Amino acid sequence: MFTTGSKLLFGASGVSLVGTLLYGILVGGIMGTVGLVSLTTGLIFIAGINAFIRDANVASDDVSQFSGSAAAAPRPGSSVWPLVVAVGGALIALGVVIHEVLTITGLVVVLAASAEWLLQGWAESASSDEVHNREVRGRLAYTAEMPVAAAIGLGLIVFMFSRVMLGVPTKASTIIAFSIVATIVLVAGAVISRARSMSAPRMFGLFAVVSAVLLAGGAVAGFNGEREIKEHKTTAYYAANDKCGEKEISADEHASQTVAGKANSSAEVTLDENGLSYTRPGLNMVQSGVIQLPRSNANNILFRNETSEPRRFIAEMANVDGSPARICTALVEEGGVQLLTVNYSAPSFDPVVEELGGYAFVVAGLDDRIEVIVP
Amino acid sequence: MSHEKVHYRTICNSEHATSSLENMSSRGFRVATTVAGVVATTVLAGCASDAPQDTWKPAGPNAQKIQDLQWPIFLTAGVVGVIVMAFIAFCVVKYRDRGQAIPDQAHGKAWLEYLFIAIPAVILTAIAIPTVGVVMALNDTDDTECVINVTGQQWWWEYDYEVGADGTICGYAPSEVAASPIITSGQLVIPADTKVLLRGTSRDVIHSYWIPRLNGKRDMVPGRVHFLRLESDTPGIYAGQCTEFCGLSHANMRMETVVLESAHFQQWIDNELEPYQAPAEGSLAAEGETTFIAQCSRCHQVNGLVDPGNGNLVVSYPDQFVYSGAAPNLTNFLGRNTFAGATWDLLTPECRTDVWESSPGEFGDKYLAGVSQDCLNEIDLREWLRNAPAKKPMYADPAMLEQSDGKVRGMPYLGLSEDQIDQLIAYLLERK
Amino acid sequence: MAIIERPSDAVEVVDETTPSVATPESSYGVFRRPVETTGWKSWLFTIDHKKLGIMYGVVAMFFFVVGGIEAMLIRLQLAGPNGTVLSADKYNQMFTMHATTMVFLFVMPMAAAFANYFVPLQIGARDVAFPRINAFGFWAFLFGGLFLNTSWFLGGGADGGWFMYAPNSSVAFSPSNGVDFWGLGLQITGVASLTGAINLIVTVINMRAPGMSLMKLPIFTWMVLVVQFLLLFAIPVITVALFMLMFQRSFDATFFSVEAGADPLLWQHLFWIFGHPEVYILVLPSFGIVSEILPVFSKKPLFGYPLVVFSGAAIGFVGWGVWAHHMFASGLGPISVAAFSVATMAIAIPTGVKIVNWTLTMWGGKLRFTVPMLYSVGVIVQFTIGGLSGVTHSVAPSDTQQTDTYYIVAHFHYVIFGGAVLGLFAGMYYWWPKMFGKMLNERLGRVNFWLTIIGMNLTFGPMHIVGLQGQPRRMYVWTENRAGDGFFNIGFWNLIASIGSFVLALGILLFFVNIYVSHRKGTEKAPLDPWDARSLEWITTNPPKEHNFDRLPQVGHLDEFFHRKYEDRGSDGHHEFHQIATAEEVVAEEENNADGHIHLPSPSYWPILLAFSLPIMAYGVIYNVFLLIGGAVLGLVSFYGWGLEPHTAPEDDYDPPTGTAMEVAAHG
Repeated sequence: MFTTGSKLLFGASGVSLVGTLLYGILVGGIMGTVGLVSLTTGLIFIAGINAFIRDANVASDDVSQFSGSAAAAPRPGSSVWPLVVAVGGALIALGVVIHEVLTITGLVVVLAASAEWLLQGWAESASSDEVHNREVRGRLAYTAEMPVAAAIGLGLIVFMFSRVMLGVPTKASTIIAFSIVATIVLVAGAVISRARSMSAPRMFGLFAVVSAVLLAGGAVAGFNGEREIKEHKTTAYYAANDKCGEKEISADEHASQTVAGKANSSAEVTLDENGLSYTRPGLNMVQSGVIQLPRSNANNILFRNETSEPRRFIAEMANVDGSPARICTALVEEGGVQLLTVNYSAPSFDPVVEELGGYAFVVAGLDDRIEVIVP
Repeated sequence: MSHEKVHYRTICNSEHATSSLENMSSRGFRVATTVAGVVATTVLAGCASDAPQDTWKPAGPNAQKIQDLQWPIFLTAGVVGVIVMAFIAFCVVKYRDRGQAIPDQAHGKAWLEYLFIAIPAVILTAIAIPTVGVVMALNDTDDTECVINVTGQQWWWEYDYEVGADGTICGYAPSEVAASPIITSGQLVIPADTKVLLRGTSRDVIHSYWIPRLNGKRDMVPGRVHFLRLESDTPGIYAGQCTEFCGLSHANMRMETVVLESAHFQQWIDNELEPYQAPAEGSLAAEGETTFIAQCSRCHQVNGLVDPGNGNLVVSYPDQFVYSGAAPNLTNFLGRNTFAGATWDLLTPECRTDVWESSPGEFGDKYLAGVSQDCLNEIDLREWLRNAPAKKPMYADPAMLEQSDGKVRGMPYLGLSEDQIDQLIAYLLERK
Repeated sequence: MAIIERPSDAVEVVDETTPSVATPESSYGVFRRPVETTGWKSWLFTIDHKKLGIMYGVVAMFFFVVGGIEAMLIRLQLAGPNGTVLSADKYNQMFTMHATTMVFLFVMPMAAAFANYFVPLQIGARDVAFPRINAFGFWAFLFGGLFLNTSWFLGGGADGGWFMYAPNSSVAFSPSNGVDFWGLGLQITGVASLTGAINLIVTVINMRAPGMSLMKLPIFTWMVLVVQFLLLFAIPVITVALFMLMFQRSFDATFFSVEAGADPLLWQHLFWIFGHPEVYILVLPSFGIVSEILPVFSKKPLFGYPLVVFSGAAIGFVGWGVWAHHMFASGLGPISVAAFSVATMAIAIPTGVKIVNWTLTMWGGKLRFTVPMLYSVGVIVQFTIGGLSGVTHSVAPSDTQQTDTYYIVAHFHYVIFGGAVLGLFAGMYYWWPKMFGKMLNERLGRVNFWLTIIGMNLTFGPMHIVGLQGQPRRMYVWTENRAGDGFFNIGFWNLIASIGSFVLALGILLFFVNIYVSHRKGTEKAPLDPWDARSLEWITTNPPKEHNFDRLPQVGHLDEFFHRKYEDRGSDGHHEFHQIATAEEVVAEEENNADGHIHLPSPSYWPILLAFSLPIMAYGVIYNVFLLIGGAVLGLVSFYGWGLEPHTAPEDDYDPPTGTAMEVAAHG
């Protein structure tokens, strides 16, 4: 009925009409509206003319005239690409007005659809056998289409699944993950055992249902938004940005980088009303005053603040050139825990270190200290 | 103190039981007997009396717990093995094709199949329950009496003894307070009858601390702190070996644990913390001190060593030259009797036998005597000082250190003259 | 360069309204399709699962010899104290490459050889589901294996052990390119395993002969199926780990850098989540082979077939939950250790089921001790020993004494040599007449068997002793002062083990001698059914025709072939089996009712070219980015060439000649 060219133009007109209406209602700038209205009117006009002259192809009306010539080979099959190109074009135009993401999407759509269009056109003229032509097209196109489709499909699965997992509470996410794995195993088992008696449409149907569920779940979860997730910044981040100064910032005690350190601490220092004390894993005893740590080794020290004031934990060190050095945690609120990793390269009896007052753990604003002995 | 060895039971008692079971399969099928032989040998392997790292000869409660758990399991495995072999041998002999009719094409018997699931399930449950118990017991550290930090690096172990809040080391008060705590390498000295907890980590790759006669092994992983319990009431020297592959000289990374009874341990601590005594002026050892300061002290610390040239305390900074950042502390080098990753003896073979195989009662005094001039194994020590990387493979060729920031892994070739070696040996002989 | 069909020049006009149909005439483009059916080209470009199977086998045997020489050098070094055969560095490379070669380049591909050759035959199919992918898998394995071994000539092999624990695998600790070669080489062979796994899963699920339900699937095929699922899930894990290693070494990533906050145990978890299923990947195919052979030579069906199938599947599942038993000494904490300890004991149950069911298969049978049967009984016996020593270190506290000692070396050699390798030899003797049309010499085979058994027990048996005496693994020397003396001294038993390894090597050598002897001129052709076998692969000629079966067999029984030959004439619960047909008659029946227009896939250049691009890219990663780009371009071109190539050449339908069987040159 409609020729290929007029399909393109009708599609473009339709989309730009919708775009114009949306823009007029939602945004309503005068310049934009006038431009879009002109564009739409122009497109509708051209589309009308094109439909009337049947793509300027007299032959398409009169099959009997040229049977035997290549052009008389079967009528081109139906094609979705003109419509897609039109949509893409409209997206580009809309994007210019609304957001650049739309423009880029439109560009990609136009390019991909144009390529498909070209390919289809080329394949349809390969021979006069439609089945053969489809095969030829498939063979050329699948090498590109399949990987891209698989990537998009996998990406979509991952994305949608991540929306679901981010949407539900932490504990539920575990349960959901395991139920999904169990379902996949069961369904896959069932499918495998019946694989030979399952028809392709049924198999396809199954996948369609699964995809639909996933898409729906993802859409719902995406719409609901993510559960509340705390932003994690590490001690190192704060230490680096604050330089043990006065700026009052506090770090998140759940910062992921500290997990391994916490599980492998050399000591846990606690500040309470009685001052600084520490316990060491493996030894069930509270100590204070002096602590011994190995040299040339990364020692993870946990600092726990049990007082009501926010406190900063500082390790006093020394540089090899004899200048003092200190590293510290961020301010720790009451009940908070922070990790500090200290590595001493010189022994504590080194005169250079002793001159600086030795190694120690202190808390800003308090006199109490723990001397650090490094053999 | 002679009764200790008796109560550490070994599998040897069950020897007769196993070999009589073995006779069951005496119908001559060669494979079965070979196999039974291997199983029996496996079981009996625990009876050997004299390999220093024998895993079946516990000398402390931790290893004893493992032993008590494992010997019945080895026995069970052996018995099950022999029964299965006998069963196979029976089938093989009895049902050999002698022209009998084609058997029934039956696909199995349900009850028999269930039975043969049930039997192993029961056996394994019986094994699982005590296993879990022992796993928990071995990891319980609440009653620790003494903590020693152990740090592994390519290819030796460093120990530093923690001074407790009360100023004691493992409950023993040193007679004088030194600036530096005790730090040693290779040979770990612990007091007898004390629940010692090793708090271990590593400075480079993963190593594993293993003294088979005192406990199972535990990997010491960089960035992590792992624990291992050691305890023994029998004074003596217990051999061990790094058991996690740790690179080029993995084979040359050994260690020993020396158990001393309390008086001797006190003596050892006092000796370790004794202030540094400079060699007599003009002696060969004094020349050795100069050579040591010039050639060795960049990496090797000797506590209290003062440079006679300028009167400054000599502090080594191994982290500037060695990739792992540490080198053995040599303050009491000849107080230990092995060196270079506990791989070579500092004692001549005769003296070694005398110390290593002395009775628990005599051991302490002999060990604390250290290495004397007469007993010094000069051959290995000289070879080492001449060219260390040739004796123990290490990454110490300056031309090939691009990937480790120019730092060596191990001791480099120093180009010492024979005179310098003589001086150093004289100097080191006083370090005990 | 598109490769598509050229339409006919002349468009035939049939009538005015119907457009004419143009049929493709020939391929054009860069290459014509390979057409050779004989000569080296027929092997290079073949996609026939049987030829690929044979090539898998030949290459695997080559690597077996390579790995064996490495093992000999190790045993020579350890025969006495302070060995000087190898330097520390070379020794470390040697044991790393020995394990890597044996696991990835011998046992896995040897199992793949049997799987490739026999799975389609056992399920009554004409080829695997994706023949070109199958060819690609083989070439990727070969090129990956060769790539891995070229490291010997380019600065030394990998020296971190086959487990390649971080951080010892980092550049600072392993400065040569060995570890890079190792990681990239395994990545390439991993691609081969993964494509093979998908291929065989699809084949077994979709291409079984009519009537063959899953519970009528031959047990070897079943075990192969389980293994392919294990591969499907295990290979991606090691792929991820190897990519991390590659990024760590080549692109300064910090996945395993402690100073950057990484935990080195991450690598161990990743490696063993792959590594433990890998053990079952190695051993289950052999279990399948043994489960095929025992019924044949007992003249009884496999005892408790469903149970053996389910225990195989159970091993496949539980095998994923026990990886941390390789890490009992790693410091996981008591709860994890206890849990993994118990899980490990649980896996002994399905394993025990197999041993018991094999023995009960022999019970009441009519046993013929041919060489394959000897090897199968050998598997039961040797594997039982390995299994029992395995139980002793499922006990975690006991394992902390045994792990990383020679006791473990003894254990897994009894499992992998005793379980997997003996089973593979059983398979070779059993299926040799099927694959090559000649019997292997039985008498030589017996000597071969006994030397192998004696050799392996002499080699690996003493390792139990030296292990319990406290000799750790991976030490390039052992010394007198840790050896002790007396009966159980480490020195004596190390010497025995070294002597044993030479006996073992002699045993293996006899296998090659046997091949030579059996294929000399004038040796007789093998009979059609030399063993009185039971399964589908025997309902065709020796060796099978290119299209496998003249008629796709109709399956009614688990042991279809047996039931076509024998009939139960007993009554009232009394059984009496009588032969009703000879194998020749059964096969003739099939030939006389041959299918027409048998459609076979055509050979192709692209699989080998695509596979060849992989090692080029790998060299590129190590040496030069332009090489990487070059390899990538070749890969891309091959990929598209492959995609554009029709999977069958026109008019390649095979119409079998009636009557006489058409022989396919399978070797020579």
